[in-house]
Amino acid sequence: MNGLIIRTVAIAIVSCIALLPITWMISMAFKPAAEWTTAAGEISLIPKNPTLSNFVYVFTGNAPDQVVSLDRTVWGPLFASLLTSVIGTLIAVVCGTAAAYAVSREKINESIGLSLLQLRIFPPLAVMIPVMIMWAFLRMIDTWWGLALIYGIVTLPFSFWLMKAYFDELPREIEEAAIVEGCTPFMAFRQITLPIVASAVASTALFIFILNWSDYIIALLLTRKDWTTIPVYMNALATAASGQLYGAKAALGLIAAIPPVVLGISIQRFLVRGLTFGALKQ
Amino acid sequence: MSRIVLEGVTKRYGSTVALDDASLTIESGSFTSIFGPPSSGKSVLLRLLLGLETVDAGRIFIDGMDVTNALPKERNLSMVFQNLALFPHLTARENIAFPLVRRGIDSGTIDDRLDQVAGILSISHILHKKPAALSGGERQRVAIGRALVRDASAYLMDEPIAALDARLRDVMRVELKRLQSEFGHTFIYVTHDNEEAMSVADRMAILREGRIEQIDVPDAIYAKPATAYVASLVGSPRINLLNAEYTAGGVVSPLGKLAMVTGWREKLKSAKALRLGIRPEAIQVTPNDTGSDIVASVSDVERLGAFSIITSKTKDTEITAIAAGDARISVGDSVGLSINPSDCHLFDGSSGRRVV
Ligand SMILES: Nc1ncnc2c1ncn2[C@@H]1O[C@H](COP(=O)(O)OP(=O)(O)O)[C@@H](O)[C@H]1O
Ligand SMILES: [Mg+2]
Repeated sequence: MNGLIIRTVAIAIVSCIALLPITWMISMAFKPAAEWTTAAGEISLIPKNPTLSNFVYVFTGNAPDQVVSLDRTVWGPLFASLLTSVIGTLIAVVCGTAAAYAVSREKINESIGLSLLQLRIFPPLAVMIPVMIMWAFLRMIDTWWGLALIYGIVTLPFSFWLMKAYFDELPREIEEAAIVEGCTPFMAFRQITLPIVASAVASTALFIFILNWSDYIIALLLTRKDWTTIPVYMNALATAASGQLYGAKAALGLIAAIPPVVLGISIQRFLVRGLTFGALKQ
Repeated sequence: MSRIVLEGVTKRYGSTVALDDASLTIESGSFTSIFGPPSSGKSVLLRLLLGLETVDAGRIFIDGMDVTNALPKERNLSMVFQNLALFPHLTARENIAFPLVRRGIDSGTIDDRLDQVAGILSISHILHKKPAALSGGERQRVAIGRALVRDASAYLMDEPIAALDARLRDVMRVELKRLQSEFGHTFIYVTHDNEEAMSVADRMAILREGRIEQIDVPDAIYAKPATAYVASLVGSPRINLLNAEYTAGGVVSPLGKLAMVTGWREKLKSAKALRLGIRPEAIQVTPNDTGSDIVASVSDVERLGAFSIITSKTKDTEITAIAAGDARISVGDSVGLSINPSDCHLFDGSSGRRVV
């Protein structure tokens, strides 16, 4: 009984600490400029005069309580982030799953998988500067395909290794059972393997989407103006007249949190349990 | 319904010879068991038959047709995998129906077949469940159901009941045998359990490190094992195997000299070093040692109810024998052992082949 109380209290404390910044951000997003500027003096967790002004500001570029209007609204970066993250995730998941399946089933030399990791072994800048030069040469700077492609490439190792672990866990006899019944290897993959690993694919995709969605440094180096993503745009949310636009940033933070959360909830029922649970004897 | 023939089939993995020049004929409607210790090539043999692996040498025929290089689906064989390999995302019903659905059979026929198979295996009540919700025995039945649901040339089973507990194993063994004979199916049944291999099969093939040591009916394998190795695999408790020698007067082993049986002299002519095999059940144990040829002291008694397994030692040679369950023998006793020479097996000392 005592243990339960201590545990409950401990969980409550940890949750409060973890949730405080998020709570703070939510509160800030609904505060009028007068409340979040340093001039406001007294700081409260609950907005005194809750307002949607920050949201109106980032979406339209103007709001009654703001001194200056924004030269760019959030629409462009929001679209850029969504498009490049989704396409990058598709590239990584499709290629990673196919490669992982081949390596797992055909026992191909695993150094292929290790070589995929090289982009991740070095500090991001050491890799991304050469990529930036290449992309400039290929005229892919500040294009959606240039950014989506590099997102797919840098997250490919994750999808490869995650999916390979799932395929390794899945005994080949399950596919062979289908092949004995007249399926071609591809049909066995389509009808048996893929449905079994669907949940693994879904959770891998979610993980990779979040990686791409929250990228800052790649977008910073490979975009200029047309295809800047939300994190880069957020950093630019400041004006000479008003300094850092904390209210607008908080509103944007809240907007940026929506896609991963919606995606997570919508695929929740797929998120991985034991894959082969029940297929085998024990 | 068909005859399956393997001719000199060889399969290598790197330097491992998984199957070595194996020739085997499986008659239509027979229950053949493939028996051997782990890693002797049993699963590889089934995989080659199914076409999941390709042979390195030799031919495979089904019903006179050369299927050596045929695709799995052209062989019309059905399989229960060692690890069952059920489809975890499908219900038991969908698992069992899979082979029929795959072949585009109409749903009315599928339902009929399914009811029939489910009835035979008594799994009608669990058909709506997914494998994860089934017990080990139920999964086993679903896997067997998936194999039996369609008409295959032969039904291959790789240690299908090895993972079940002892009681369920006995039940399933009898059921499988009944199913096979009732429908006249051709069964190829792999096991590493000698009792199982003996009890279900019409014919038995014994594998050792990829080689087929002997093929025969179980009784003949028990009565006349072709090699010392087969003798040691078949029969429980294990056969006593002793080094022996043929001298002019007879067969001399640590147990003394065996009287010659008519016909031995001719066959032993060229033999010298021998292995003498005596089954525990062929040794008579007498509680007191008076008048016995061999006197031994009892080192262990295992009472199993109907009979007892007596382990005894004579002149540093350990001998296992079987006595009646109520025999008054205990550890430390001196007992008499008597052996009828005509119950003995003699194998060549170097090749292990049967001599008499
Ligand atoms: N795919 C494979 N790759 C390499 N070696 C294999 C493969 N399959 C089987 N073997 C080897 O072949 C031998 C026979 O294996 P198997 O038929 O599975 O034995 P069991 O009689 O236990 O079923 C073993 O030594 C095993 O290691
Ligand atoms: Mg095996």
